[in-house]
Amino acid sequence: MAAYGAAEALRAAGCDGSVTLVSAEPVVPYDRTTLSKAFLQGQKTVEEILFKPAEHYQELGIELRLGQRASAVDFDRRELVLEPGERLPFDTLLIATGAEPVRLRLPGFDLPGVRYLRSLADAQALREDLSRADRVLVVGCGFIGAEVAASARTLGKQVTVVDPLPVPLAGPLGQEVGSILAEVHRRHGVELRLGQRVAELRGHRRAEEAVLESGERIACDLVVVGVGVRPAVALFQDSGLPIEDGILVDEYCATGIPGVYAAGDVANWWHPGIGRRLRVEHFDNAAQQGAAAARAIAGDPQPYAPVPYFWSDQYDLNLQYAGYPGPWDQVVLRGDSAAPSVTAFYLRQGVVEAVVTINRPRELRPGRRLVEARARVDPAVLADPSTDLRALAQSVRQAE
Amino acid sequence: MTAPEGYVAVKRYDEIPEGGIVPFEVNGDERILVKLEGKIYALSGICTHEYAELAEGDLEDHVIYCPLHGSGFDLETGRVTALPATQPLPVYDVRIVDGVVYVSREPRQG
Repeated sequence: MAAYGAAEALRAAGCDGSVTLVSAEPVVPYDRTTLSKAFLQGQKTVEEILFKPAEHYQELGIELRLGQRASAVDFDRRELVLEPGERLPFDTLLIATGAEPVRLRLPGFDLPGVRYLRSLADAQALREDLSRADRVLVVGCGFIGAEVAASARTLGKQVTVVDPLPVPLAGPLGQEVGSILAEVHRRHGVELRLGQRVAELRGHRRAEEAVLESGERIACDLVVVGVGVRPAVALFQDSGLPIEDGILVDEYCATGIPGVYAAGDVANWWHPGIGRRLRVEHFDNAAQQGAAAARAIAGDPQPYAPVPYFWSDQYDLNLQYAGYPGPWDQVVLRGDSAAPSVTAFYLRQGVVEAVVTINRPRELRPGRRLVEARARVDPAVLADPSTDLRALAQSVRQAE
Repeated sequence: MTAPEGYVAVKRYDEIPEGGIVPFEVNGDERILVKLEGKIYALSGICTHEYAELAEGDLEDHVIYCPLHGSGFDLETGRVTALPATQPLPVYDVRIVDGVVYVSREPRQG
């Protein structure tokens, strides 16, 4: 995603140098967000999830090196080493390696029938397995786990989800919103095992049964693991690049090495608007940060200071988030939690840090404006259904 | 009053509120009218990313945003200003004759 955002933006910014896009995946950039949803449910084909066909890159004069994994980088000679040994010289390097799923090393997780979901190839394999499975066990109820569970239920599978937290997604979204989502999954017939962990998987040729730490045994013919991702930095581990929960970059996406930039899930950047570092694992950030890096490369650096944004679709539920991840001390709900049709505001010392809408898309952008303005709003006003959020956001904007 | 050739009558100009997004259909094809700073724009009513009705969307700085995933389209040209959409939104020509808004049957080319 970040690579695609950068490729487009580089040419748009008038950069006419030679550009090469190297990807270990054998496919042009595609919309990864569909993999757990429309693609998994068979509603979209590979062609339909590509951002642009291969010819588009030809038109932009961008050379594609697909299915070619970089095995090393040499910053002294300014060369990227590809498997099996070709060396690609560069003046400027944009690192957009993304993130990789965390692998569970518990007994039985090496059996066939255990899947992770990150790449198109993962999604194709999972879709194939899913077509033959009746009982699906999802390990981890983060966004990937929750979306895969929803897709599997939509396809009519029996689904059990195990997560160590008592409330799913409580980390990024809090207890209040996490509880609402848990209820939606229960209502759709998902068996939730919250506050529990899988101890091991058992099976002869494939995973056939999970044993929880509680001793409960859950029969399954497919296991999907979604327990988070890590920034994909292995290639740069001993390269001299500063790495700390991702590749450290400044507000212009620049690393400590001149001409070397990073963007997307792999980049841990200094956000000048809020005065701290962020690393965001979502589509919108990858697209925008890739473009921001491209502008910096093209000689027009502008501080990258967005309000991070993402969405998640589960069943017919649409969730959108705009804001700064991090601690809050108050959650204000507006609307109907049971329907659900609700907006949640996350406040820290009275300042709106983030907003989440569930099936209330029209409140997202006004909420986002409050976040952007670092507005202080009386919680009672936010919760009051008669408050016109657009007018409120407008007045805050004008007061800036 | 007959419509200009290749155009259909949609609504009286005065009936469209400033800042309003008005859905309408031409032969079952969903479209929207937008009135901003007095000017009328006509665009396809469905996001080019996934099925979502842009009449439920939001306007900001001459961009219409999809209600579901935040794709942005320039009101004037339909150009994508914010992903996840990558295909532009079809836009239609608008004429106002005797206070009535007419919209072209066919999208504007290029």
